[in-house]
Amino acid sequence: MRVPLSGLALIDVSKSFGDVPVLERVSLRIAPREFIAFLGPSGSGKSTLLRIIAGLETADSGEVWLDGERIDTRPPGARGIAMVFQHYALYPHMTVRENMAFGLRNAGVAKDEIARRIAQAADILEIGAQLDKKPGQMSGGQRQRVAIGRAIVKQPRLFLLDEPLSNLDAALRGRTRVELAQLRTRVDAALIMVTHDQAEAMTLADRIVILDDCCIQQVGTPAEVYTRPANAFVARFVGSPPMAMLPGVVAGEEAGRVRVRLAGGAVLATDVPAGGLVAGTEVDVGLRPEHVRLAAPGEEGLAAEVELVERLGDRTFLYARLADGAEIVALEPGFGTLRPGEAAALVIDAAAAHIFTAGGAAHHPEPSA
Amino acid sequence: MSAHRLSPLATVLLVLGAAVMLAPMAWTLLLSFKSNAALMADSGAAFAGPYTFENYAAILKGSLTLQWLANSLVVATGAAVGVLVLSSLAGYGFARLEFPFRRTLFVIVLLGLAVPEQAVILPRHQLFAWLGLHNTYPGLILPSLTGSFGVFFMTQYFRAIPRELDEAALLDGASRFTLFWKVLLPLTLPAQATLGVFTFLAAWNDYWWPLISATTSDYFTLTVGLASAQMNYAQTSGLGFLMAQAVFASIPILIVYIAFQKQIVRAMAGTAVR
Repeated sequence: MRVPLSGLALIDVSKSFGDVPVLERVSLRIAPREFIAFLGPSGSGKSTLLRIIAGLETADSGEVWLDGERIDTRPPGARGIAMVFQHYALYPHMTVRENMAFGLRNAGVAKDEIARRIAQAADILEIGAQLDKKPGQMSGGQRQRVAIGRAIVKQPRLFLLDEPLSNLDAALRGRTRVELAQLRTRVDAALIMVTHDQAEAMTLADRIVILDDCCIQQVGTPAEVYTRPANAFVARFVGSPPMAMLPGVVAGEEAGRVRVRLAGGAVLATDVPAGGLVAGTEVDVGLRPEHVRLAAPGEEGLAAEVELVERLGDRTFLYARLADGAEIVALEPGFGTLRPGEAAALVIDAAAAHIFTAGGAAHHPEPSA
Repeated sequence: MSAHRLSPLATVLLVLGAAVMLAPMAWTLLLSFKSNAALMADSGAAFAGPYTFENYAAILKGSLTLQWLANSLVVATGAAVGVLVLSSLAGYGFARLEFPFRRTLFVIVLLGLAVPEQAVILPRHQLFAWLGLHNTYPGLILPSLTGSFGVFFMTQYFRAIPRELDEAALLDGASRFTLFWKVLLPLTLPAQATLGVFTFLAAWNDYWWPLISATTSDYFTLTVGLASAQMNYAQTSGLGFLMAQAVFASIPILIVYIAFQKQIVRAMAGTAVR
């Protein structure tokens, strides 16, 4: 694999803890100034990957390159990387100013340059009044800013953010999310954020790296991973509520598009190209809630029983079970009136359906021109 | 601090308890201001004048008490400083470094907590005699440094410091030593204060080992010195002087207690020192 002269490159990175593999031959390229989110469930290896990049863990094999230089052989402090820790990891006995200066002093940066950078960062993050306070005297949000400030002053080539919003309350999280979005415009560096919160990843990242089962499942823009998930795992993991999976069998094709017979007998005329999907193949039909609605009065629909109603005010999710036992989620605008236990008729937008084969491979709808 | 309201009964009990504790000290203090001669006639004379400073003057002039005080200060300070240095380094090592037999060594340290001094005093005496360490300051200080408690205590304290701080410091380009010296060690200051005070007090109050090791009165610590002064009918012929010595000996301890009462109370209460 050729190593790019700019940005970050991971080449065949593997890591296991004892007998437990955590990462298996993970390769990835990140462009300079790109904002990347590592998204995955607990134990997917996303934090380990971040820590390998930072140098806090050593990969069993593989290489890490940054701007054309191999960095996995260097100590953490010599990689041109700054990290914002989940619990901030501010030095409790030092003032904010000393916290920010610590790394620069270790690097031998001149005193007046340190003062200049701290003043600049304090200005950006609006923590000028707190510079002589200690972390213990500050609120969670302020500590978060100091942690970011400590990273900024180092003028790194790469920022690593480990679950940066997980310790903040809901209101502060929203505001900090906006600040992180602004941060990337102010720094001349790539950012990698680890998160298990897909909303964070979708709203902040240029590209999302979805990890599970020791491997990268998909790398793509938020729109790509949502509309064209690489496999059933990504399809279920991204989107809330998750995509419903209805078991069925390929019934044939019509105008080059696949028709699927659901377990309950209904036949869906999808927009998925037929290539590779032969009649008789067992598949799962993936449907997002926004592609399942309640039938209008007099309209025909699939019979289902409502099991759970999630009212969000502007919209309502209906978790229902079809007659064949498959679970499905429908979206109803406004404040729904149905209650658990009641019967509903559901209409499926078959043209939006995805098809997943037993191996997890995805087939996406491609509307004919 | 919030003002606690005590019930009258509790107040009475506390006052009684305090009186029982304070009475011997007050008695000692009173006796120390009486001349030996007056006390020889009647120790009850302590309740009435005339009072005198002659006993304290005798300590400051001529007696060995000042030398013993200096010895105690050297020994207790040496023990405290030595224990702090060794325990901090060992605690950091056990808590943070990977090295062969770490667990085994730590278990051995823990087992050291269970070995009573009585069990090792004879071999130690012989060893120190062979090394020529009796009647020297190192001979009085070294045994304090072999205690396991400090190592155990500091290890636990270092372990309680989040590893994220180490990692942040490593990413900040800190060397192992900078990490230890500038980040972790300052965070253990409360533990250092507690351990230091307790080691100091234990060494100050120690009687048995100095009794064995210091055989010439030049190297007596205060405890041994005071005890030696009790011989030869001192309690009848020199009671005032003896009491003055006791008061004199407790002054440094009093200073340590007052200066470090916060740490001592916290340590006694067993609350986390943050």
